[in-house]
Amino acid sequence: MTNLKVLAVVLATLGVYTWVANSIPQIESAVPVEVSFSADVTEEELVTAGEQLYYGGAGCVTCHGLEDRAPNLLADYAGEGPIGLRCATRVEGQDCKTYLYESLVDPSAYVVGGGTFDPMVFAAILYSPAQLWALVAYLEAQGGNVTVTAEDVVLAEETATTTGAAGPVTASTDPVEIMRNTLCFGCHQLGDEGVEVGPPFEGMGSRLDSDYIRRSILDPNREAAEGYEHLLGSMPPNLADMLTARQLEILVEFLSGQE
Amino acid sequence: MPERRLDAADRSLGLLSIGILLAVVGLALTAEPVLSQGYAAREYGDFPVIGSRAAIWIAAQLHLFFAAFVLGVPMFAVVAEAIGIYGGEERYDKLAKEFTRLLLVSYSATAIWGAILVFGLITLYPRVWGYLAEVFEVSMWAYVGLFFFESFTLYLYYYGWDRWKKGRAKRVHLGLGILLNLWGTAVMFIANSWLTYMMSPPADVTPDTAPAMVQFWSAFANATWMPINIHRLIANVVFGGAIVGAYAAYRFLSSETDEERAHYDWMGYVGNVIAISALIVLPFAGYWLGREIYEFNQQMGTTMMGGFMSWLWVVQAVLIGVLFLTGNYYLWVGMGRIPGAERFKPYTKWMLVVLVLGVIVWATPRNMIANRDEITAMGGQFHPFLGVLGVMSAKNTAVNLMILTTFLSFLLYRRANKRPVVAWARRGTTIQGALFVISATVVLFYGVYGYFVPAIVRIGFSVYQVIAVLTTIVGVVAIDIAMMRGAESRGAIRWGQMPERSQYALFILGVTFTWLMGLMGFARSGLRQHWHVFEVMRDTSVDAATPALGYASTIISVCVLIFLGLVAFIFWVGTLAEEPVIRKKVAG
Repeated sequence: MTNLKVLAVVLATLGVYTWVANSIPQIESAVPVEVSFSADVTEEELVTAGEQLYYGGAGCVTCHGLEDRAPNLLADYAGEGPIGLRCATRVEGQDCKTYLYESLVDPSAYVVGGGTFDPMVFAAILYSPAQLWALVAYLEAQGGNVTVTAEDVVLAEETATTTGAAGPVTASTDPVEIMRNTLCFGCHQLGDEGVEVGPPFEGMGSRLDSDYIRRSILDPNREAAEGYEHLLGSMPPNLADMLTARQLEILVEFLSGQE
Repeated sequence: MPERRLDAADRSLGLLSIGILLAVVGLALTAEPVLSQGYAAREYGDFPVIGSRAAIWIAAQLHLFFAAFVLGVPMFAVVAEAIGIYGGEERYDKLAKEFTRLLLVSYSATAIWGAILVFGLITLYPRVWGYLAEVFEVSMWAYVGLFFFESFTLYLYYYGWDRWKKGRAKRVHLGLGILLNLWGTAVMFIANSWLTYMMSPPADVTPDTAPAMVQFWSAFANATWMPINIHRLIANVVFGGAIVGAYAAYRFLSSETDEERAHYDWMGYVGNVIAISALIVLPFAGYWLGREIYEFNQQMGTTMMGGFMSWLWVVQAVLIGVLFLTGNYYLWVGMGRIPGAERFKPYTKWMLVVLVLGVIVWATPRNMIANRDEITAMGGQFHPFLGVLGVMSAKNTAVNLMILTTFLSFLLYRRANKRPVVAWARRGTTIQGALFVISATVVLFYGVYGYFVPAIVRIGFSVYQVIAVLTTIVGVVAIDIAMMRGAESRGAIRWGQMPERSQYALFILGVTFTWLMGLMGFARSGLRQHWHVFEVMRDTSVDAATPALGYASTIISVCVLIFLGLVAFIFWVGTLAEEPVIRKKVAG
């Protein structure tokens, strides 16, 4: 009897701990992928790369994995099926892949849900055309047919090369305008503008000195503010590439003054 | 006769363990150059059903469980023997011998699991093993040599117990015990260098650095080596104490005589005191380790405390809460068998309140993914009240107050049946009380003040809190030892008169410590993420992604279950030889 009681205590203790650990959000540390396709890329390769981005570096599941912050893309939404089924019917005369690609490049173009959801926080500038098309291919594969082809990828990459995708995203010297263009308000709040996902800009000057703010812009994913550690890696890694030196200093001065 | 039979079996098992280790390391070190000649060796092997990662994980974890036990137990065995010699209490000597007897078979289990681990690494991760063998070849041979000395010192220590039991010979025997600890510590330090190198290789080692070009000493004494050494040293004592406590609890529950019950009640108490006392110091060593990890690589530090591992600390808080509550509960129940302890009973409910509040604060997450409605309802990303409790200021305050409360429980337990006779007893008690009040005030002050200063200043406050608590512990103990010299007894402790539920508390402590060790092992190893050697050798296997906590917890539970099952078997083997003696005693 003693043996049985001891066994029961041991198993119950182990069971409780295992249950607790399984009850909390399950986050896996994925291996980062570098995407580069040749001209004969296959549909399967695109979908696989897209899936890895979706669950990994692109951070899609942060919002689309939840039912309430953004529509679920992998399951049925509003009786219209998963995204691969409903994408072709979103905008009249627009095919699925064009709709998805535009949604990624310009997230505020189509906001689903009639005001239920916020515009998507996604900086397409951070991703290569190959990565964006891979994401589109993966989303198309969710209940629909993959229509993304190697030509789409090659054409987009050629366009990016000739137009020079890298560089400042705006010529403005107004700090708020710069922040709007670099999508800072997608996660940070200043007054009525923006969303409070990351640390608010208000009071930033009293919490951090100017050197720290400059470092955080130049190397945004090196460290996270206390209490926001779970968001580390969410800041655009090439934020500094989107600014001129002058714009960087304007932002540093502006944020340092937010007391 | 039965004892002789057991001794012979132990000796054979011990020799077997040395043989296994020598064979494995010899094979492992000679295998690597062969692999590098002529043909391209495969990078990874396959393990059926559970996969390579799980197989290595289980082997490493079980090796570590046994290794921690055989390194922790000698530390307090030798202390118990010293108390027996210099304090004149023979029961401590017997206790030390009983501890040591548990070591013999556990040694073999450690070596067997070590062999499984090395064979696993050679067959499943040959590239990693080849790399490490090339960097650490010298220390691997040193490891084998030290293990050899350690094993034979253990045999001398155990089998010489009854022969060298008086006068100078006894002190030489104690010296053997100290030597055993020194060998064991050296062995652990060497093994720690291998795993810490994987975690924090020197800055000048890059993916292009050939292993032969890595400077041995800079690889050996890497950034996290010493913090891990100290952390493991203390953790091994905690672990050893907890397992001995669980062993004593089982023996208590299955005792047939009052004498046996009294002995194992006392043994369980000693195991628990050792475990909880060392546990109190452990967070400080953990803090040092964490700080070194941050210093080595801030990204790694943030991954540890935030990032994908952030929830691990909530689970850890739950486990440590269980440890504090169960450890204190055992002491409070134990006060029922101490004459004079009744006068402290009214305080226990307040101590319970502090502990429960501490656990609640510690287990409160700063923030979590919330939906739109929840964010609106909270008025922001953080809960207006719980968000405040989730920051480090609140958590440091909570854990320091929990440590102080647990220390107070020990103090009350220790003083329960004593009446000091020194003239300054009243003043001494007042000073002790003042130390408690001052340290609690310092902890609370910096906890609250932390909300009004920048994070970089706030981090430094935890040092002041820790210093206040440690100073109180050292000061109060020093006063207590002096004050209780020659103290009158209010009555002898009624060993053996413990309710059964207290013994199940010891089991919960043992299981929880073991599980916690597995969890922290996952945290340490998982920090490397998709690197075998951080930012030097990339993991390109199918298991490169670091798994989520749910999967990790399942593996940990399986490891704990296997470990406890094997330990139960080992302890049962130990009782086989005793049964005839006990029966004879009962019959007599």
